[in-house]
Amino acid sequence: MDTAVLEKPEAKADEVAKAAPDFPQTQEFVTPKISRMEMLKLFYKPEGTLRLTIERNPEGWENFSYPTVKLYQAAPLSSPGRYIVLHDGKGEEITMSDHIDQFSPDSRAIAEDEIRRRYLTAKIQSVTSIKVEFGITYWTVLTDKGERDFVVQSLTESCIWLSDRHLLIIDVDGNRFEILDRFILDETSRTNLALVL
Amino acid sequence: MTVQERDQAAQDERPQIPSTNGVAGNSDADNEILISEIADIVPEDGHIFGKREVRVTRKSVSVFDASGVQLLTVPMLEIKSARTESLVGGSRLELTTTSGIMPIAEFTASVAPRFSEMARGIEQLAKGEDFAIKLAYEKTRCEKCGRLLPEKDGRCPACVKRLTVLKRIFGYMGPYRKAAILSLTATSLTAISSTFLTPYLTRYITDSVLTNAGSRTMAENLPRLTFAIGGMLFALLLGVCLQFLRSSNSIYMSSNIAKDLRASVYRALEHLQLSFYDKKQLGAIISRVTQDTDRVWGFLVDGLPYLVSMPLTLIGGLGAGLFLSWKLTLAILLPVPFVALVTTTIWKPLSQRYHRVGAKWGRLHTQLNESLNGIRVVKAFVQEKGEWSKFETRNNDLAEAGMTADKFWIRAENTVGLLVGLGPLINWGYGGYLMLTGEITLGTVMAMQILLWQVYGPLQWFGQLNNWFSRAMAGAERIFEVIDAQPEGYDKKDAVVMPNMRGDVTFDNVRFGYDKSNPVLKGIDLDVKAGEMIGLVGKSGAGKSTTINLLCRFYESDAGSLKVDGVDVKDIALEDLRRHIGIVLQEPFLFNGTIADNIRYGKPDATLEDVMEAARAACCHDFIVAKPDGYDTQVGEKGGKLSGGEKQRVSIARAILHNPRILILDEATSSVDVETEKKIQVAIGNLTKGRTTFAIAHRLSTLRNADRLVVIDKGKIAEVGTHEELIAQKGIFYSLVETQKQTSKAIAEARSDIAIEEEG
Ligand SMILES: Nc1ncnc2c1ncn2[C@@H]1O[C@H](COP(=O)(O)OP(=O)(O)OP(=O)(O)O)[C@@H](O)[C@H]1O
Ligand SMILES: [Mg+2]
Repeated sequence: MDTAVLEKPEAKADEVAKAAPDFPQTQEFVTPKISRMEMLKLFYKPEGTLRLTIERNPEGWENFSYPTVKLYQAAPLSSPGRYIVLHDGKGEEITMSDHIDQFSPDSRAIAEDEIRRRYLTAKIQSVTSIKVEFGITYWTVLTDKGERDFVVQSLTESCIWLSDRHLLIIDVDGNRFEILDRFILDETSRTNLALVL
Repeated sequence: MTVQERDQAAQDERPQIPSTNGVAGNSDADNEILISEIADIVPEDGHIFGKREVRVTRKSVSVFDASGVQLLTVPMLEIKSARTESLVGGSRLELTTTSGIMPIAEFTASVAPRFSEMARGIEQLAKGEDFAIKLAYEKTRCEKCGRLLPEKDGRCPACVKRLTVLKRIFGYMGPYRKAAILSLTATSLTAISSTFLTPYLTRYITDSVLTNAGSRTMAENLPRLTFAIGGMLFALLLGVCLQFLRSSNSIYMSSNIAKDLRASVYRALEHLQLSFYDKKQLGAIISRVTQDTDRVWGFLVDGLPYLVSMPLTLIGGLGAGLFLSWKLTLAILLPVPFVALVTTTIWKPLSQRYHRVGAKWGRLHTQLNESLNGIRVVKAFVQEKGEWSKFETRNNDLAEAGMTADKFWIRAENTVGLLVGLGPLINWGYGGYLMLTGEITLGTVMAMQILLWQVYGPLQWFGQLNNWFSRAMAGAERIFEVIDAQPEGYDKKDAVVMPNMRGDVTFDNVRFGYDKSNPVLKGIDLDVKAGEMIGLVGKSGAGKSTTINLLCRFYESDAGSLKVDGVDVKDIALEDLRRHIGIVLQEPFLFNGTIADNIRYGKPDATLEDVMEAARAACCHDFIVAKPDGYDTQVGEKGGKLSGGEKQRVSIARAILHNPRILILDEATSSVDVETEKKIQVAIGNLTKGRTTFAIAHRLSTLRNADRLVVIDKGKIAEVGTHEELIAQKGIFYSLVETQKQTSKAIAEARSDIAIEEEG
């Protein structure tokens, strides 16, 4: 399906290995590398379908276009906006960008939109109320996506502590809510949270 | 989305099929809305919560915004297929039209399952097939109180009548009615004797024996004293007897009720569907069998007698007190409302604090469980320090939470203590004053003093009562959740009994997803004749084990039908179905016990000869006999004392001894060396004659005996045929074989290189 044929990065790695048979001092994992991230042009065409064109390749390649591209964050919770992975239609990696800033401004905007589309995890801005009944918690929260009510069956099972301050809460339907830093929430939210955590 | 909108969305959930006479001309069945769903995310403005309606008619799929304005319409004629793309915490409905892929709506996981059914419906319409989808109208909110339900179609925990739960709890006392009645009677009698007998005897001995004793002769005084002491002795004996009666009966009850509760929870757990276990942590489930049952019987055995005796003591005490002196009684009762107030107000914050302690216990428990279970990994990666620091943090957290809760409790307890301590003070003060004015006697004051302790004592437990009660209710809720959860259909009435089975298996458009919004099998069609050996191949994660899970009915398919001997597996008596299936799971599991016991697990009456026969077929006989204890070797938890390949072979022997009509080998020989595998194959080859066999393997040479190979790719069957046919097709299977050939060739070359080097 994909017309592009990128040079197999493994081949290069093999050469390197042959040239320097000593035990490598630093581990070189095989990551497909595209020398300059600005060459990547992400766009939607038609609307809702993410595509990718690699422009003006220095090694004299033609422009490549991937008709279907999936964009993932390798670690959406611990490193949001970093390690942006692009997959082709077959689910194989095209490349990974260490930081979303490495894209050109236009592509970056598209990447940001794609992230918001794919990761529906809502970030809780304030906790309006939490009610506990028989170990079940009823939440009303304000998130970056708007207001929402949800129920959590058992906080011990469904509240994941990503760090001491960073929480992920998964409700009974499988919707995800994230509290980036529980210490910087407003007073009411903090008191509400303290009751259940 | 605001709360109101969401409520509205919940109410609008049913498809709005207009009444037939409402549609113009009535003839227009094309415009009839077949499905309508509310998507709860709007793609504009950064994919925020909102409301979009998707309506499907025979002619088109259209999208409307919250105010009913049509945003988009796609004619059915242009639609080629429909699917949902799964996102993180939701999905997107997409149509493939003649002009490309078209996103239609985005929504959260709350409604995703409904949209994936919608996608199926659209596809049926687009292809001109019969429109048949299963849209379950699940309740998401309680009909009574409007609260969101913790489980769709589940019970609202707030509206489950506490009385109903209580009744159910009391149900467990049924078999021990006699003991319960005896115990409660003893409790009540104790309450009465302590409020009447003891205070009155005290007054008697003070007023009629000790006071003004000088004004009476010794002959007059002695019988009085004897009477008083006799009475007291009687009260003492009565108290002890009643206490004995009460304790012995409650011990009898507590042991038995605890036993019954644990048994019924365990029995329910055994029969639960596997999907229940997917969602929960094992530790949490175990605590339902142990801790939650404890809470419930604790309430029945300790709380209930208290619940009976406390009002009796209070009423008795009040009555006795009013008889003695109503003025003094009222004065003494002054602090009681305060005590009641304090105990009731502290209860909620207190229970929340203790709840927190419970949660911290859970975290510590999980950590402990994990690091000890994975002790090998911990040691291998030298992570003792890391695990220690995790443990320490959680341990400290627990201590901190416990301290906070206990501090709070102590503060409350002391306040109550202070208020209770005021009672005797009032008694001595006001009682003393009344005595000085001659209104009451010293005996009355003394009697009051005794009464005071009898009444105030239980009052201190008043707060505890609420605690007992709420803990028991929470425990009961969790227990009944398990007991009431949908069990697998073990004793379905109209189930088809199958004492014998041929072993024909038919998959007809079988679809399944562990998570309903994320299908794993997307329409499996396969016809397997009895006695055929099918090799299942495909990439890791393609859905091979899942296919097998459905055949064993570990999970039920979402759509399509799976038949064995022409009967849908959902209708076959479960025990019969599984009796005829022998399975070697991908992750072999052995029980703590001897090897022989493990092999005869499915057939406990098998003789050792049978066991050895099966073991020979699985090529494990030789290594077993070489063990010091042979077949009597204890394998330890999860078979920990055996190597990976040994474990696999023991579990193959277990499946073989089961003598099934359908044999399933899920990567059964993946950890066994090639030579042993060959031997096993020959042995199994003899055994599998006449048995339907499904063998899954990544090492393709494992499947060389298969009659047909089935390649599963992305949840569908991509290729079916014999080895030669598939090679000739040059499809997925061909490329798999080629890759494996190259790898083994590379290894062979490397070997010969080494050999040459060694020679040279
Ligand atoms: N209990 C489960 N709950 C949720 N998802 C699951 C569960 N079991 C498997 N899956 C997912 O279902 C998909 C199919 O899994 P399955 O076990 O059938 O794969 P498989 O073909 O047997 O792969 P392998 O060859 O690695 O054993 C995978 O994406 C897996 O992550
Ligand atoms: Mg598997």
